[in-house]
Amino acid sequence: MRTVFVNPERCIGCLQCEIACATEHSSSKNVASAFLEAPQPRARIHVEPGPVPSTAYPNRCRHCDPAPCAQVCPTGAIHRDRGLGVVLVDEDRCISCAMCAVVCPFDAVTFYPSAAGPGPEVAVALKCDGCVERLRRGQPPACVEACKVGALVFGDLNDLVAAGRLRATAAVLAATAAAPPGPPDPLAAWHAFGAELVAAAGHAARPTHDRGGER
Amino acid sequence: MSVSDGRRAVQLSINRDAQEMIDLARAEGIETVWDRLDAQQPQCGFCALGVSCRNCAMGPCRVDPFGEGPTKGVCGAGADVIVARNLGRGIAAGASAHSDHGRDILEVFASTARGETTGYRIADEGKLRRLAAELGVDGDQRPAGDVAADVADVLFDDFGSRKDGVSFAGRAPAARRARWQELGITPRGIDRENVEMLHRTHMGVDNDHVSLLLHALRTGLSDGWGGSMIATELSDVLFGTPSPVLSEVNLGVLRHDQVNVALHGHNPVLSDVIVAAAEDPELVDLARSYGASGINLVGLCCTGNELLMRRGVPMAGNHLMQELAIVTGALEAMVVDYQCIMPSVTDVAACYHTKIISTSDKARFPGATHLPFDPRRGAEIGREIIRAAVEAYPDRNPDRVHIPVAPVRWMGGFSVEAILGALGGSPEPLVSAIASGAIRGAVAVVGCNNPKLPQDYAHVELTRQLIEHDVLVVVTGCAAVANGKAGQMLPESASMAGTGLRGVCEALGIPPVLHMGSCVDNSRVLVLAGALADFLGVDIDQLPLAGAAPEWYSEKAVSIGAYVVASGVTTVLGVQPPIFGSPRVVDLLAGGLDGVVGARFAVEPDPSRAAALIRRHIEEKRRALGLPFEDPDSIAVTAPAAPVG
Repeated sequence: MRTVFVNPERCIGCLQCEIACATEHSSSKNVASAFLEAPQPRARIHVEPGPVPSTAYPNRCRHCDPAPCAQVCPTGAIHRDRGLGVVLVDEDRCISCAMCAVVCPFDAVTFYPSAAGPGPEVAVALKCDGCVERLRRGQPPACVEACKVGALVFGDLNDLVAAGRLRATAAVLAATAAAPPGPPDPLAAWHAFGAELVAAAGHAARPTHDRGGER
Repeated sequence: MSVSDGRRAVQLSINRDAQEMIDLARAEGIETVWDRLDAQQPQCGFCALGVSCRNCAMGPCRVDPFGEGPTKGVCGAGADVIVARNLGRGIAAGASAHSDHGRDILEVFASTARGETTGYRIADEGKLRRLAAELGVDGDQRPAGDVAADVADVLFDDFGSRKDGVSFAGRAPAARRARWQELGITPRGIDRENVEMLHRTHMGVDNDHVSLLLHALRTGLSDGWGGSMIATELSDVLFGTPSPVLSEVNLGVLRHDQVNVALHGHNPVLSDVIVAAAEDPELVDLARSYGASGINLVGLCCTGNELLMRRGVPMAGNHLMQELAIVTGALEAMVVDYQCIMPSVTDVAACYHTKIISTSDKARFPGATHLPFDPRRGAEIGREIIRAAVEAYPDRNPDRVHIPVAPVRWMGGFSVEAILGALGGSPEPLVSAIASGAIRGAVAVVGCNNPKLPQDYAHVELTRQLIEHDVLVVVTGCAAVANGKAGQMLPESASMAGTGLRGVCEALGIPPVLHMGSCVDNSRVLVLAGALADFLGVDIDQLPLAGAAPEWYSEKAVSIGAYVVASGVTTVLGVQPPIFGSPRVVDLLAGGLDGVVGARFAVEPDPSRAAALIRRHIEEKRRALGLPFEDPDSIAVTAPAAPVG
């Protein structure tokens, strides 16, 4: 089963997947003109900041099987493409009841007008379509192509899980000194700085001495 | 939900005035810098790590810091070159900002020398003649105007390409100058180094990160010993050399019953004539006719520091207070020149009766009233600006006025001349206090505010811990204002210091934290360090000194960091610069530089840990000088605090 796998520890919050996604779902497919289109094309992947600065998670539809959204959709607007392994919305049949959003385990469904939908004023369910057009051409999804740090990867699920397993193995063995450590991680300090910012806010909020200036 | 949603005001600033105004802004739906920081989360990691490049149209490019994606831009530049180029360009921007400020002062100085200005004069003729002697200009028996014109000529040449070294670089100790010469980083001309930095960072020019970083240091030096020093020295000549002065600080300096005018930005050249205009009887009468009891000038940021240093003008706040000062509803006008003035001030002002008055043709603000500065009409423009502010007073809505706290007293005015004056004319008393160990060393705590950090927390906490351990602290810029608000900058603040430093401060009647001025006045710190080194016959890097920029945000701060380190003073930054995508650049700046210029950078956001690192560094320097020292390893560096949920 081919899917987009997420390595959240690698996400550095550049938002390039969001821009690539919105562009892919535009009429012009051109970043320079996509943002001028009406209705405005929308990203279907959302990079949300984590609990401390310098962390983030790119959230998108996981194309569940069975898909709760498809199960509850009263108009049958949501269906699965078995061949490509993606869950798709027929925007013309969507009645914006938001039941799909209610049951989505990942809050991955949004509602905006769409060029493919019933009209420029009518919001319909928008979510990741797995870049079906690209998949049919043998290309990876746009978000994966845009990601230059391996936070989003596309391939056979078990292969992707295995890749993560191998990285974990190397890290565990380095930590237990059973294998030499790799080169210094340039991101470690960046991540640590985010944690320090949160700590500093906590410390500053704890009055330790008279700051003066009170009336 | 973004990271900082729900951060309470007490987590955003340690100051009650800021906290109350943040809550008020939130209640009124007025967007501030903290809201915009939230909206930017997550911020781009490529850019935070310095590995994105927009220098050419084959790009934009970014390289994968994990090393699995692209490791080179289209041109072939890897992380080392991209990071070094970006850092170099940032330093050039910061150095250019300071130096163009210096040039603006120089131009007014030259025009004043020729008698073409109104509202300006040579205020410190003694300093003019001392500068003339230093610059090889005949200063004796000639009218001040003629001397000033020749001094201006010499300094104009410092901006160009005809010299082997900028004039004031000659003030550095001989050993330091020799080291610069050997490394090829003597600043030759101010504009030249900046232009060369832009040239070198064009695609396909300097492709060696070491060479790029060395030129970045030279570019910084052209600021510290060039543009900034010219700004400081000529401002002293035109407006007076600062001497100790008492004043007040925080938003409590705004008055309920007066026309409040905030002077914000960096250049003292116009604000000085505004001070005169605010005392104009006709304008004071006009204010009274509208029911105000007078005209109250306050400072913000470094224009405020310039005015505090020379005129004792009260200070409303530092960088992160600029929007909040408007939220008091008590500000009739904010007069802005340039640098660090958020484009948002006009948006916040639009929610109130406050007029934003822009004064520099280089710095325009849509929505502001533009009254461009012209030194030939200085006095007249000063009056026009004050008149505009007074005319806004009837529009003030008293129901929206909220001045949060009572002001805190503080002391400014410690130019090098004033410090040496307090010491009795020679660095000897300070040097012997350092030699005996009563004072362990001295640290310059400088730089900005950054909304990523709780406002002023690191400035105040670091400074407090240093003075408690007998380290004399000198401050400039936003760091100075932070310490002022915390009540750490009065002669009686000596009681907060350790026994040794307290004794020295009490004997001299000075605070343990000395205000040396605006951010261009970091040049005063260089002059003082050079004077101490010369007195001892050593180089600056041998002295028990350090620098700290705990809450920096600006490209100017990066330039300051570059020239301070290149001058031999190790500097601790509280906010990560965008260089961590290149471990080689980090290794060089945080380690290798020590063997080259005798100083290096460190990054430590936690002020307690930063204080310990600095004290260890100072004790190491003391040991090397053969002075009584504490074992550096005995100074505990506490573990980083656990994140608070």
